[in-house]
Amino acid sequence: MIVSAIGDSKALQAVQGTPLQPKAAENLTANEGFEKILNGLGANAFEALRTGESTAIAAIEGKATTQQAVMATMEAEKSLQAALAIRDKIVSAFLEISRMQI
Amino acid sequence: MGDPLIAAMKISASGLEAQSMRVRVISENLANAQSTGSTPGSDPFRRKTISFGDELDRVSGATLVGVQGVQTDQSPFPLEFDPGNPAANAAGYVKMPNVNLILEMADMREANRSYESNLQVVKQAREMISMTIDLLRGGN
Repeated sequence: MIVSAIGDSKALQAVQGTPLQPKAAENLTANEGFEKILNGLGANAFEALRTGESTAIAAIEGKATTQQAVMATMEAEKSLQAALAIRDKIVSAFLEISRMQI
Repeated sequence: MGDPLIAAMKISASGLEAQSMRVRVISENLANAQSTGSTPGSDPFRRKTISFGDELDRVSGATLVGVQGVQTDQSPFPLEFDPGNPAANAAGYVKMPNVNLILEMADMREANRSYESNLQVVKQAREMISMTIDLLRGGN
């Protein structure tokens, strides 16, 4: 299945920060693979955003340095952008498949 | 090993923090450049110095910079003749802090330059990361 191949996508692993190791062929159904990607992307970006936000608040309260706040926010921005770009790419691949002439 | 660009950002972030600590110590020295003691013959404010050292970040294996410690400058205090000062000794001399304004200004400028170069690294690394991510966009 093409879609389950996307499910094993290295992009997802890279965004999640897990080492890029080739996975043994998992028996994923089409839906599982696709949902897994979107969930993984969302969860990771969300986590980064949450860290960025809490550090920014700590900096406003004077508990963290400005540098820490800026770094955490930039990290969140970067994760979100990467997740969005990969999601757009995968969604367009999925649409490409669904538009296929039968 | 994680992403080297992210490691570069972490390293320069540690540089930023070290240099801001340095500016803090300089400002303490400048603010106390006239702080004498309050009893006759007592010691005035002693100039502080800061030293940096390399630190290994075990997660990424990168070598960061850290503040190793804030010490005091052991050079002698200059004497100033001021018999009316409460800190004046029997001969009328007051011990002044061993802070040299010119030296502090030069040190501050150096801290500023170092901060700027660390910021440039952050900017470059960020630009390189977003240029790479941008490869995914467009060209559809």
